[in-house]
Amino acid sequence: MPRHLILRLGQAFLVMVGVVALTFVITRMVPGDPAVAYAGPRATPEQLAEVRERFGLDEPLWVQLAVYVRDLATGDWQTSLHTRRPVLEDLYHAFPASLELVGAGLVIAIAVGVPVGVLAARFRGRFPDFSVRLTSMLAVSLPVFWLALALQTVFGSTLGWFPVAGEYDGSLDTTSPLTLWTNITVVDALITGNWPILTSTLAHLALPALVVAAYPAGVIAQLVRATLIEEASQDHARLERALGFRETTILTRFALRPALNPVLSLIALVFAYAIVNGFLVEAVFNWPGLGRYAVSAISHSDTPAVAGVTLLVALMYVFANLVVDLLQGVIDPRTRAR
Amino acid sequence: MRWHKRLLVAGVAGVVALAASACAGGQVRGAGGSPRPSTGGTPAGQTATQDNEATFVYAPNLDVVTDWDPATSYSNEIIALSNIYEGLTRYNAATKEAEPRLATEWSSADGGKEWTFKLRQGVKFHTGAPLDAEAAKKAIERTMKSNGGAAYIWGAVDKIETPDDATLKFTLKYASPMDLIASSGYAAYLYDAEALEKNEDDVKNGKLDVGTGPYTIDSWRKGQETELTLKAFEDYWGGWRPEQYKKVAFRVTPEITTAWQLVQRGEVNFVQRLNPQLFQQAGMTEGVQAKQAPSFQNLLVLFNTAEGPAKDVRVRQALQHAIDYDGLVAALKGAGQKAGGLVPPGLLGHTTGLEPKQDLDKARALLQEAGYGPDNPELKLTLTYAQGDEDQKLLVTLLTAALKQVNVTLQARAMPWNAQWDRGKKGDQDIFVMYWFPDYADPFSWFFNVFRSAEDVQFNLSYLKDGAIDEAIDKLPELAATDPLAADQAYADLQKKIIQEKAAVAVPYVQTYQRALTADVLGYVDNPAYPNVVFFYDLKPAG
Amino acid sequence: MSAMPRVARLPRVTDRFALAGAVLITLIALAAVLAPWLAPHPPGEVDPLNALSPPDGEHWFGTDAAGRDVFSRVLHGGQTSLLIAVAVLAVSATAGVLLGVVAGYAGGWVRDVIMRITDVFLAFPALLLSVALAVVLEPSVTTVIVAIAVTWWPWYARLSAATAASIATRPYVDAARCLGVPAIMIILRHVLPNSLTPVLVQLSLDAGGVILTAAALSYLGLGAQDPTAEWGLMVEQGQTLFTTNWWVVTFPGLAILLTAFAFNVLGEGLRDALDPRRIVK
Repeated sequence: MPRHLILRLGQAFLVMVGVVALTFVITRMVPGDPAVAYAGPRATPEQLAEVRERFGLDEPLWVQLAVYVRDLATGDWQTSLHTRRPVLEDLYHAFPASLELVGAGLVIAIAVGVPVGVLAARFRGRFPDFSVRLTSMLAVSLPVFWLALALQTVFGSTLGWFPVAGEYDGSLDTTSPLTLWTNITVVDALITGNWPILTSTLAHLALPALVVAAYPAGVIAQLVRATLIEEASQDHARLERALGFRETTILTRFALRPALNPVLSLIALVFAYAIVNGFLVEAVFNWPGLGRYAVSAISHSDTPAVAGVTLLVALMYVFANLVVDLLQGVIDPRTRAR
Repeated sequence: MRWHKRLLVAGVAGVVALAASACAGGQVRGAGGSPRPSTGGTPAGQTATQDNEATFVYAPNLDVVTDWDPATSYSNEIIALSNIYEGLTRYNAATKEAEPRLATEWSSADGGKEWTFKLRQGVKFHTGAPLDAEAAKKAIERTMKSNGGAAYIWGAVDKIETPDDATLKFTLKYASPMDLIASSGYAAYLYDAEALEKNEDDVKNGKLDVGTGPYTIDSWRKGQETELTLKAFEDYWGGWRPEQYKKVAFRVTPEITTAWQLVQRGEVNFVQRLNPQLFQQAGMTEGVQAKQAPSFQNLLVLFNTAEGPAKDVRVRQALQHAIDYDGLVAALKGAGQKAGGLVPPGLLGHTTGLEPKQDLDKARALLQEAGYGPDNPELKLTLTYAQGDEDQKLLVTLLTAALKQVNVTLQARAMPWNAQWDRGKKGDQDIFVMYWFPDYADPFSWFFNVFRSAEDVQFNLSYLKDGAIDEAIDKLPELAATDPLAADQAYADLQKKIIQEKAAVAVPYVQTYQRALTADVLGYVDNPAYPNVVFFYDLKPAG
Repeated sequence: MSAMPRVARLPRVTDRFALAGAVLITLIALAAVLAPWLAPHPPGEVDPLNALSPPDGEHWFGTDAAGRDVFSRVLHGGQTSLLIAVAVLAVSATAGVLLGVVAGYAGGWVRDVIMRITDVFLAFPALLLSVALAVVLEPSVTTVIVAIAVTWWPWYARLSAATAASIATRPYVDAARCLGVPAIMIILRHVLPNSLTPVLVQLSLDAGGVILTAAALSYLGLGAQDPTAEWGLMVEQGQTLFTTNWWVVTFPGLAILLTAFAFNVLGEGLRDALDPRRIVK
């Protein structure tokens, strides 16, 4: 096996060990007795003892860790103390909704961030540049949970332009039930041509997606501006200028394409960031995704659920990075040298 | 070519995600339906006997069901289960007495140690089996054996006999008010135990219920917004009138502001709790009824009588005097009512004349006597309370500020219940704040569970150990069963002793429910013995 | 990719953004430090009979559910937020720079071990790790500092390792080595001081992020506890009152925004003066 492959696999393995160890710590080192959390507020000592035995809470810690790892591997991610269902099943239901929200947020972020960044670069040092830089800095400075509350109150409650919370109007389940293929409501509604659910979901999606989009839009605008300015000072831009192309043409026809490369790389970073940031947004908008699940788990001290979310997001992140690195090693041998 | 890598990360993440979610394979979401509520009752011109096709939508703030087993259920599902299952009796908050439900009449003998209940005739379980004495006995015995949830309420029962099909005879180990116990919101349901045991998995998964109540499960989808729908049980012993609601849906709405929006738009019919500000708004909103009702739930501020500085009774009395009772009730803006003693109004043993008042001068003097206060070294006290409870937080904020004036620093920590309780059982704090409510409409649990001494601390979180108090508590059930007047006096004396003499607790307020309903719903009555329960069978739309 | 910034020159302080940011931060810091004198009320002073009264001449930002003056609490909240930011950055930058400089100077297996550990931490979504840690630890300001610092130091380690590696190969360092100066002295006298400039810029860029993360943790109930005045916590406490009593939520939220904004503006200005290309995390 090539050296770089072993190295990468080793590193990914290390990260996973770290993640699993961390989640184990989360499930066991909770303040309070997990048995009480499961058995209920007025449990008798006998009930507690029974729960302890059932979940192996009376075993030594290293036995518990071994059992924990074995269970994870066999797909038993413990039972949520709060929903009392397998955590893995809960995650399976919550994840598509998060993907939908973050996806919509990123689409908005790109649609706004790129043109605005071009605008700023084109008029560098002048008013449009100034206002774009200012606005993008504001966008990355906004506390998401506060922005979510503010938009919900203003556009949801006071003005009534958008629904206040939820993923779509629940009564549509009766009038035009949705057939599931991907579990992502918008996508399913689109491919099955379910217009009532599609429009309802889009209306519900608008405000939370805007909130999720704020930070990435700001970052993307700043990055596009910076890269365009750098590209415009390259030799090829000088040549194009000498050939008589106008400044706007140079930026959009020649400089933008290479400048988009770092933007694309940024999106992968922002994706993971947005999933976690979306937690706060989902809680406010009652969006049925990972975030609402995680926040409710936190407030109920539902440690198996918190550990499950942590594990899922981290493993996805690690796995995606690993696959990319390995693929890249195949595509572009130069990177193996690193 | 770094961007290729990042793009691939995004791509792979997407593929992983899709693979994880792409197994849905064309199933229909929400089969069974998530219905709309009634909008304004029947149109003009139609008679009131028009069949009510509307769905009554209830907006709970938490998951509707955590445990489907009628024996061990001890949580939010009381709202749903009280409409699916019934007990022998039901408590009437207006008359303060148990009323017939599955039992039509009852009597006690032998100083409250023997109880005979006559069962209602013609009652059928949802499984089709008839309710007879044997079935009732089986259900209660199964509940007792489960030893979970509130099963302890049957603790006095020595044996159950069935002299005939319609008679249930309880022999008790010690005198107890069985008619009240049988009205409990938890663990008192009569159910088809045989069918349950045969189909245990179906019952646990909400596919089947084995009750006698007016409603039966239509669909249950844990974790969904519309988690549970109920439908009318055709063969209900009480029969059905056309105008009654035949369908009920529960739409889980954690944020009260959202719930408020939904009731305003008529998307839900009932919101179990608003905050005072929204409640005030509800009172001025057309199309919405604002309903306020007293509860049986009060706040207990328990002082550590066993260890630490609060072991000194003067310190405890000073703490009692430091609480700004009137300010707290003012800031609660209607969500709570000043308490007088341990027992909330509406229950046997409620007393007047024990209403507390803030008196910082007295607190200062008492602290001075005990060696603390402004001229002495600072006193540090720890307090634990429930995480996420706005009202308790308000108490803590006010108490912290008041104590600061008398040179006492309060180190307050909000904790989830299990953590707080765990710590409490170890006696690891000076002040423990919690709500207490009875499982059945009787004040006994405030005394027996909270203030009777215990080697192994459960809810005696003031750690009070007093032989005379224990003795008095142990006499209460028999008194209640035989001589209510003497019981009332005994309850009053005990409260004086615990609050004034021992200063083991301060009781700042009794909670008040502030609810909102759509204006078109008639017949709603709050029953504090069944917290947050709506008996849907009793309702009808206006018009 | 060359992570070697051109650090030799100092930023032009004339950058409009940097200047505006610096002025804003100075004002915010002054308001926080002078809060005990500026605030019209003590932050813990309750007045239940005047709970939730709207902004007026007496209470500029209104009062909260316990009748506390929101203006005074916002001022005092600045102390908490700035304290958290300073503590997190100090801890993570110190740890990160030390490890990074050692790794960069030493190279070889030392560098490998340190950088692999760094990679492990970087492969973990930062806010998620903070949340996970904060759930396990008891909620407090200290918890917030620990939880954020744990996720922040690897960035400094990576940044200063790259700088240090480049400095370690410079002729004057070689010269020092040849003269027999001990490694520890070389690191302290030459490598460390020269690795600091990019770190300082990064610090001002990060301060905004730290403040936002800290507010988010407190908002989730994992950070500062009542009666501590903390902006994220204040937003959480007023959340259900937003439609009826907007002031309880609005002002602390604006305070977070303004502070994070000021740091971002300063960092952006400084970085732009050094290098127009953003190093995004």
